[in-house]
Amino acid sequence: MKAIETVDLKVWYGSKQVIKGVSLSIPDKTVFAIMGPSGCGKSTLLRAFNRLLELNEIARVEGDVKLYGKSVYEMDEVEVRRRIGMVFQMPNPFPHMSIYDNIALGVRYNKLVKSKKELDELVEWALRKSALWEEVKDRLKEKAAHLSGGQMQRLCIARALALKPDVLLMDEPTANLDPVSAGKIEELIYELKKELTIVIVTHSPAQAARVSDYVAFLYMGKLVEVGKTEEIFENPKEELTEKYLTGRMG
Amino acid sequence: MRKLKDRLFVAYVVLATVLTILPLFHILYCVFANGVPVLLKGGLEFLTGTLPAPGEGLGGIGPAIVGTFVLTVLATLMGLPIAVLTGVFSAEYPNSVIGKATRTLLLIMMEFPTILVGLFVMDILVIPMGSYSALAGALALAIVMMPYVAVYTEQSLREIPSRYREGAFALGLRRRTVVFRIMMNLARKGILTGILIGIAKVAGETAPLLFTAGGSYTVYFQGIDRPIGAIPLLIYQLVQQPYENYHEIAWGASLVLMLIFLAIFLPIRLSVKEVKL
Repeated sequence: MKAIETVDLKVWYGSKQVIKGVSLSIPDKTVFAIMGPSGCGKSTLLRAFNRLLELNEIARVEGDVKLYGKSVYEMDEVEVRRRIGMVFQMPNPFPHMSIYDNIALGVRYNKLVKSKKELDELVEWALRKSALWEEVKDRLKEKAAHLSGGQMQRLCIARALALKPDVLLMDEPTANLDPVSAGKIEELIYELKKELTIVIVTHSPAQAARVSDYVAFLYMGKLVEVGKTEEIFENPKEELTEKYLTGRMG
Repeated sequence: MRKLKDRLFVAYVVLATVLTILPLFHILYCVFANGVPVLLKGGLEFLTGTLPAPGEGLGGIGPAIVGTFVLTVLATLMGLPIAVLTGVFSAEYPNSVIGKATRTLLLIMMEFPTILVGLFVMDILVIPMGSYSALAGALALAIVMMPYVAVYTEQSLREIPSRYREGAFALGLRRRTVVFRIMMNLARKGILTGILIGIAKVAGETAPLLFTAGGSYTVYFQGIDRPIGAIPLLIYQLVQQPYENYHEIAWGASLVLMLIFLAIFLPIRLSVKEVKL
């Protein structure tokens, strides 16, 4: 079963092409890492999956992205984003809202619960899933701005999980965190893949090796190589991949 | 030598700064020095009474105070909703033709001579209605206010880092929820500042009212289709008169205007909490 499949995906910003025909399939309930140097189009690729690219007026997409066989470009974009959650590079909980409301917001607007009690339970469930419950259970009404960077990022994961997505996109989720917080997020990824598919973008091959089952190497908007993580790391077929993995390229 | 140059430069900057803010303090001093005695002499009646005949004491500026209040509220009611939505639109669609045009036009409107706004409203409202009116005055003020509010709204929305916008959309929220629930809340300090600057600006405007509000100082508010007074307009009109008591009233009115201005501006400016990003 393929959670996500892209078919000859191409993306332009104005006249500049940044994704040059990427076809890949992401198996269900796995961690799929997209790695590559800065500016290779990783984040753009991720934003094509949940149609967040449409916020950028100059972005243009060709080709297709399928979610469990169905084109996301034929679905309602709100439904797409409900089913494909996203966590960003900079932790971005809404600072003017409480911890509780940060999680409840998306749930309420997508009408996923019927009662306050159900909402309370869902918030607790999401916070437990993101390993944040113990730290914040007594201060759910506090502003999210009071949390540490690592806690904020786990709150963002909780916020995404509360929508019960099928896929979770993570755009360099540890890039702005200290090593301890980053480690917690990686542990979390390992736990979460039992229940959903995770696509993580990283510029660190080491992180890709630690957390992923499959890995794709993207370079200058092209897919250089994709496969099982162990196989790619032990025996890369392309010279570019090997150069990247051994640190001879950036 | 370099040290000396450095010191000279610092001295120059300090001097320039003092020269820049000196007029402000001088104005404050003048208004208080001339206004306080008038207010003490006139007492409470100065705030509630009506304009006396030339040479017959201080009376009061009640109708002008009420007029300024009525005009400002009416102008805000007319201008604010349109202006905020205009700002939201040009922030949300910055690259659209309308978005770009709006931004440029707003900046021009901000610096537009306000007396021309007054002339315009006179042409479209005062002449057809055959009379000066509160409505015309308020419309002129609304036109003056709108670009401030719109530009501040737009700029404060655009200052919000894009990660919050993306984050909100990624939660499956519709655009209107993202804008009105998330973005406007994050930008509330900037937007409110814009609104206050707009209000403070029009509360002190004279020129747009010259050909529109007409002025009315011996009777209180009579309806939005009737002429109405305003404190700045009253000051302008009194100072031109050759009567001693009118000049005194003008100083008193200046102090009242300044106190109103400070009263709108200071507390809210201090109390609106900025969202820490």
